[in-house]
Amino acid sequence: MNEVVIDCLGEACPVPLVKAQNKLNEMSVGDILIVQIDHSCAMKNVPEWARNDGHNVEVEEVDDGEWEVIIEKSK
Amino acid sequence: MAEQSSLASRRSSSRAKRKPKKNQIPIGVLMVAIIIAIGIYLGTQSGKLLLFWATGIAFGVILQKGRFCFTASMRDPYLTGSTSITRAVLVAFAIATLGFAAIKYGYQSMGIPMPGMSYVAPVSLGTIFGAFIFGIGMVIAGGCASGTLMRVGEGFHMQLLSLLFFIIGSLWGAHDFGWWKLNVISKGKAIFLPDVFGWAGAIIVQLLIIGLLYVAAEKYEEKRKAK
Amino acid sequence: MENKVENKVKFFDRVKKNEYYKKWIKSPFTYLTAAILLAIFQIITLAATGNPWGVSGVFAYWGAWLVELFGGSVDKWYYFASQGAQSTLDAGFLAHAGTWRNIGIIFGALATTLLASGFKFKKIKSKKQIVAAVLGGLAMGYGARIAAGCNIGALFSGIASLSVSGWVFAVAMFAGAVVGSKLLVKFFM
Repeated sequence: MNEVVIDCLGEACPVPLVKAQNKLNEMSVGDILIVQIDHSCAMKNVPEWARNDGHNVEVEEVDDGEWEVIIEKSK
Repeated sequence: MAEQSSLASRRSSSRAKRKPKKNQIPIGVLMVAIIIAIGIYLGTQSGKLLLFWATGIAFGVILQKGRFCFTASMRDPYLTGSTSITRAVLVAFAIATLGFAAIKYGYQSMGIPMPGMSYVAPVSLGTIFGAFIFGIGMVIAGGCASGTLMRVGEGFHMQLLSLLFFIIGSLWGAHDFGWWKLNVISKGKAIFLPDVFGWAGAIIVQLLIIGLLYVAAEKYEEKRKAK
Repeated sequence: MENKVENKVKFFDRVKKNEYYKKWIKSPFTYLTAAILLAIFQIITLAATGNPWGVSGVFAYWGAWLVELFGGSVDKWYYFASQGAQSTLDAGFLAHAGTWRNIGIIFGALATTLLASGFKFKKIKSKKQIVAAVLGGLAMGYGARIAAGCNIGALFSGIASLSVSGWVFAVAMFAGAVVGSKLLVKFFM
């Protein structure tokens, strides 16, 4: 079970989402993708996409204005 | 449902907090106090300034709390296949249409000139060209007009830069506007839907279009998801 | 004295953990909620100010005042030649209602971010971002003047005003967004 972290801090919309989508595509079921973001848009649209796609998602706030979106590829 | 350990606890990489989280609420409260103070000051100058300040604050709050981005409404269908903001924008259009129509109809039926008619702009190649490059610009810059202001408030340096050049671009556009008006815009015509379809007709046609777009957006998202 | 400061800090920490704080102040609105509220305030704007909401028109005036700050003048430009424009320019930045509304948007977003304890300065990360911000900003500014408005004044307000221009703007803007997305992926990611 792989764990990949992508640093999207400071990236503008929609870069975190696109990077997350591309990365998750390369990963296998059961792997965990952690997306580090500080963009409020991404804090909403990345989990939304991942949930819609059927994956297990959790959002953790690690600092003021910084989040980690933890996605477990489920299919 | 079996009890699943939270994802966060199953991660192999430990993520010690880089520094203790500060509590920004006191600063937030201070900011609210500043906003009220500015409001009071503006109120002493004129009721109009206070009104514009208050509605600006409201829009800023709503946009930020909603993470509402018009840019995303037009960009995401293509880039990510998501139409959730697109559909929300359509809802906003529908509700605003009804409110605006009610106000304008009220004025007209009382024989007074309707408010806001300057926003019924001439349709010309200028509209198409301007909107087209605006669309390109907003996606590249990571935010539209309202989105840029919102992000300046959220602390994004990139949008501060974008705002500066938005201002310069506006100046450039204003400079060239005379040429555009003479050669392009004056050849266009402003079309107010109630003049074409009558009030009821216009509202029905517009809401119908919005409704159809909404359904299309929903179906589109489902189709993209299935791929 | 130290005790007072400590108590204050503890108070705000307790606020942060409070369930109403989390529900009402910290958590985001749904897109639908925001859409409904935006529409309501649009309607309020039209009713109370006589015009719908607009954002980018203000920027042209900010540019003009900057020009004047540097000793220049825009008075001969067709765009600023009308009586209304001239009196707006003369009255200045601080007396301009639209200016205060735009600044209000910035402050509203700032306040709500701070109250949710989510504020962070996001510095520019790469040269690509600089180029993107410059080109994107210029394109938006120029395009909005020629198209008589931006995503708010021409799109949101235009459509709500039952004007065909709003719909034409929407279609062209969408086409531009698609092109912009391709450019974004190719050059700016």
